[in-house]
Amino acid sequence: MLEVKDLTATYGPVTALDGVSLSVPQGRITAVLGANGAGKTTLLRTISGLVRPKSGSIALEGQDITRTPVETMVRRGMAHVPEGRGVIAELTVEENLRLGRMFRGGKDEAQDLEEVYRLFPPLDSRRKRSAHTLSGGERQMLVVGRALLSKPKVLLLDEPSLGLAPLVVAQIFSLVRELVDTTGLAVLLVEQNAKSALSIADTGVVLNLGKVVATDDAQRLAQDEQLRHAYLGF
Amino acid sequence: MEQFVTLTVNGVILGSVFAAFALTLVLIFRATRIINFGQGAMAMFSGFLALRTIEATGSWWLGLLVAIVSGFVIGALVERVIVRPVESGPEINAVIVTLGVFVGFVALAGILFGNQFRGFPGAFSLQGFDLVAITPNDLFKLGAVVVALLVLVVLFQLTSLGLQMRAAAFGQEVARLLGVRVSNMLTLGWALAGAFGALAGVLIASGSPISPNYMDAVVVFGFVAAVLGGLDSFVGAVVGGLVLGLTSTYVSGYVSSALPTLAALAILVVVLLVRPGGLFSSSVARKV
Repeated sequence: MLEVKDLTATYGPVTALDGVSLSVPQGRITAVLGANGAGKTTLLRTISGLVRPKSGSIALEGQDITRTPVETMVRRGMAHVPEGRGVIAELTVEENLRLGRMFRGGKDEAQDLEEVYRLFPPLDSRRKRSAHTLSGGERQMLVVGRALLSKPKVLLLDEPSLGLAPLVVAQIFSLVRELVDTTGLAVLLVEQNAKSALSIADTGVVLNLGKVVATDDAQRLAQDEQLRHAYLGF
Repeated sequence: MEQFVTLTVNGVILGSVFAAFALTLVLIFRATRIINFGQGAMAMFSGFLALRTIEATGSWWLGLLVAIVSGFVIGALVERVIVRPVESGPEINAVIVTLGVFVGFVALAGILFGNQFRGFPGAFSLQGFDLVAITPNDLFKLGAVVVALLVLVVLFQLTSLGLQMRAAAFGQEVARLLGVRVSNMLTLGWALAGAFGALAGVLIASGSPISPNYMDAVVVFGFVAAVLGGLDSFVGAVVGGLVLGLTSTYVSGYVSSALPTLAALAILVVVLLVRPGGLFSSSVARKV
């Protein structure tokens, strides 16, 4: 579904990504793990077009999207949930959701929104409330729900567990897993919380200083003690 | 008492035009975080185009239409051609550029239309009513601003385009990720501000003589009104405009006609001391 080859990105003299390759197959969750500054967020930002890569290529369903403008990604079936929630705080919950399906959604707006409210009941009672009144967990539900409204083929999730209570993290992760299994969605999940990420992922990719140091089955990575101690901190 | 009523009514009418002008500054500030010091001069230029049209065709309404359309086009062009190239630099660059826009349009108007005062006909009669000292032309100004405000509210609150513009204003990067063509929304914001400014320009001109500097005083009041409202609130701009309009007529009616501008600046200083973010600042932590 999503193929990344030899991706290199720089911020001035700093190399943030150094020849990163990975693939995200349909119906699978690929988790990218690593410490702060490993290049995880830059990887997602480069894939969705917010950062221009220096070299390398990105393909979505076999089509090259390396230099496609970020605004058109949604229309091609890619949804990117940025780090730090990404709600537009000044808009209402419903307006945030409407934006999600504006450029690629089902025929019936009301029905699409009901679907999200059904998945995330806490949002239901806050439809007309400004998004800045939501708690951290509700904000995460809102951005995931908003991303799903664009009917993505690939979902990029940046640190969905950041600052959330473990119970909420478990809820959101199990929901993502369920969606992947039932709809064939491909997910690229970036996480510092390696343990929970590996528990729902199919494949794990470990980044360190912009380089891939390991790619393996998630279960096996979770058991690789040396790797865990060196890069994953658990 | 009669004087009070007259001053109040006139204050509201004047305030509505200030509000319209303040709104244009808010539109642009929300979209691009720039104070457009050229806004008044752009509106003045559209006002002169309207006057030329009225003189040539005899139709006041055609003049208004020409002003609004030209304002829309000028707004879009200024953003794309003049502001866009400097936007990636330090903020002060864009502000200085808008000062250049101000000087440029005033000079251009001087060359094309002359620097002497010229009469601008009123939309309706300039003859006052018997009871209060306001004219049908004044009432038209108020009505025009109210209609324009309603159009703006409907556009921003009820249409998909308006939602995209608000998203682009409040969360640029997230909006782009969601597929909103943010750069087009910014241009549209400037264009709308241009059109709205042109309307304010024509309303100010209507029934009084104009020269290339006729908008300067309005710029001061409109700017204070916008800051009073917090610079990114539409409601704030309207309330700020009305406060300034009323202050202006009360001060000139009861105290001295030389003092309204000073009073406006005094209000600005007091508000900035007490509520630095403006009266209607939405203090939402902007974490995107």
